[in-house]
Amino acid sequence: MAKARVVVIRSANAWSPAGDPDPAVVTRMFARGLALLGDGVDGRSTAVSLFRPDDRVGIKVNTIGGRAISTRPEVALSLAGWLAGNGLLEKNLFVWDRTTRELRDAGYAPAAGRSGVRVFGTDADGVGYGTDLIAHLGVGSLFSKIQTEFATASISLAILKDHGLAGVTAGMKNYFGAIHNPNKYHDAHCDPFVAEVFDAPPVKSRHRLTILDALVVQFHKGPSYHARWAEKFGGFVFSLDPVAADAVGWALIERLRAAAGLPTLKDEGRAPAYLATAEKMGLGRADPASIDTVEETVA
Amino acid sequence: MNRRRFLRGAAGAGLALGAGLPSLGRQLAASAAGPNISRVEARYYVKFPDREIECRLCPRLCRLGDKERGYCGVRENDGGIYYTLVYGKVCSLNIDPIEKKPFFHVLPGTSALSLATAGCNVNCKFCQNWEISQVRPEQVEAFDLAPEAAAARADGSGCPSIAYTYTEPTVFYEYMYDTAVRAKRRGLRNVVVTAGHINPEPLADLLAVVDAVKVDLKGFTAAFYAEYVRGDLKPVLETIRAVAKSKTWLEIVVLIIPTLNDRMDLIRDMCRWIRNEAGDRVPVHFSRFQPMYLIKNLPPTPVSTLEAARRIALEEGLRYVYVGNVPGHEGENTYCPGCGQTVIARAGYTVQAVRLKKGKCATCGTPIPGIWV
Repeated sequence: MAKARVVVIRSANAWSPAGDPDPAVVTRMFARGLALLGDGVDGRSTAVSLFRPDDRVGIKVNTIGGRAISTRPEVALSLAGWLAGNGLLEKNLFVWDRTTRELRDAGYAPAAGRSGVRVFGTDADGVGYGTDLIAHLGVGSLFSKIQTEFATASISLAILKDHGLAGVTAGMKNYFGAIHNPNKYHDAHCDPFVAEVFDAPPVKSRHRLTILDALVVQFHKGPSYHARWAEKFGGFVFSLDPVAADAVGWALIERLRAAAGLPTLKDEGRAPAYLATAEKMGLGRADPASIDTVEETVA
Repeated sequence: MNRRRFLRGAAGAGLALGAGLPSLGRQLAASAAGPNISRVEARYYVKFPDREIECRLCPRLCRLGDKERGYCGVRENDGGIYYTLVYGKVCSLNIDPIEKKPFFHVLPGTSALSLATAGCNVNCKFCQNWEISQVRPEQVEAFDLAPEAAAARADGSGCPSIAYTYTEPTVFYEYMYDTAVRAKRRGLRNVVVTAGHINPEPLADLLAVVDAVKVDLKGFTAAFYAEYVRGDLKPVLETIRAVAKSKTWLEIVVLIIPTLNDRMDLIRDMCRWIRNEAGDRVPVHFSRFQPMYLIKNLPPTPVSTLEAARRIALEEGLRYVYVGNVPGHEGENTYCPGCGQTVIARAGYTVQAVRLKKGKCATCGTPIPGIWV
């Protein structure tokens, strides 16, 4: 069986002089990352293979950490802009999370107008959660209508962070923000719940692409921001395999922890066991030996 | 869903898609205000470095970083200070017969002002109120009802008691406690309907201000609690012991679910444990399950199962054993353990007759324990 492919794109120029992500550089990083997921030349062909032209694509960000450690608007809107220029309709792109307040706190300007990329939370008027409880394996939740009704395809554009309970929060756990009761699924290091939420039809049937925002990586004491343990890594992790993307994200966190003299997550008794569970469930590859990681730098 | 239907639905719902509604910006602003959330510092937590806290209210001991919420979903760490988000935010308020809680030995035939906020610290797969218990406060309609106002509402409505019920009162502990104190000053009783998943210290403090506690003992194995309740059995048993030792009246409800917790040998073990640890005077209600929430594939409990459980409990020496959720069943009545006469006759939530004199059987004079009018 072919290995899962994961692409890591870094840039030393990812930040503007003001300290914010530079949209032009970030866009180049997205283009290159998507290209390397496909034929290695053209990111557009990858996008075309993933999405229909009329797909309504939900870009699920993670903004619980405020402006300091969230998927920043410069990042999400750059991705949306690139997708709009490469086969998708701008009006069919949504950047979303649980609440409008969290989006605002992370620097977004919520918008749901007649044109342009829309940005809104599940709590926006006219949105909300579905009324039918979806019971899947050990999970029973209401799912955001953004995931179940508005979007026909989904991208997890997740911030990569250490997580005190889960071990790592990355692309799969990002979909906890699509259910009404994530607080019920943090027991046992979120295992098997991260895998089970991802496996639920509203997510699994729509998910197309994982991109981990590793511009700043909180490698210890997450998920909240602590400058002492936040590394300006300046990268993104791309994969069509949601488990492999997160496994590479975990490895990156361990690398940063080792460099800082911190014990491994396993030594701290909080390794993200849900990755192995996800692999057993057939959601992707967690074993590093079955993952082919490509790293590249963009100017 | 095709695109036309999608657009029609979205426009009807108020969200702009391509050619949507111009007023959404204002709507977003309104929804972001979070009207269903209060912010009162929680009790029973400890602070740790790096803005971490540990909640000590219930046995989960949620250790939370900044901006994280506990398992209950209604308590949040904000900058190293732990807050209850539901203080005074009532999502359900009714005047119920106290028999509905059920309390069968507390003020029979009276009404209780019954209230709840959102949230719960367990996640029973058979929850009857999951739409308010298994949600975050932002996800339900709620209104403000300060503790004094709640007490006044009960007083003014002719309710001799306030019941903290429907969801899990432990998660709105601060509000419950403050309301109970105010109700007590007015001469009202306070009754608590709980899963018993609470730590000893807050429980002891609570018992000083409430009059009766009904504990749902949802099963009698750790495995059942882990799989179907998402909690632990042991702290629930500790709670039952603590209430039984206190001056607060205790009743126990056991919801029997076909094939999941209806083994009669375990029910016998449970009854023995109750008799030995809580005493034979504790009323025990065996209640009928109805398909609900995440368990819709099982039938309602056969009445014969409830009757068998009741027989076992009586055999084990428990004196006041009831059948619940079977209106009209003879197991709804209270029988005098001295002479066997019916001292309280019930049909559903209706009390048809009370044959007690100063807490004693009107026929033979045997004391019947409870809180009587």
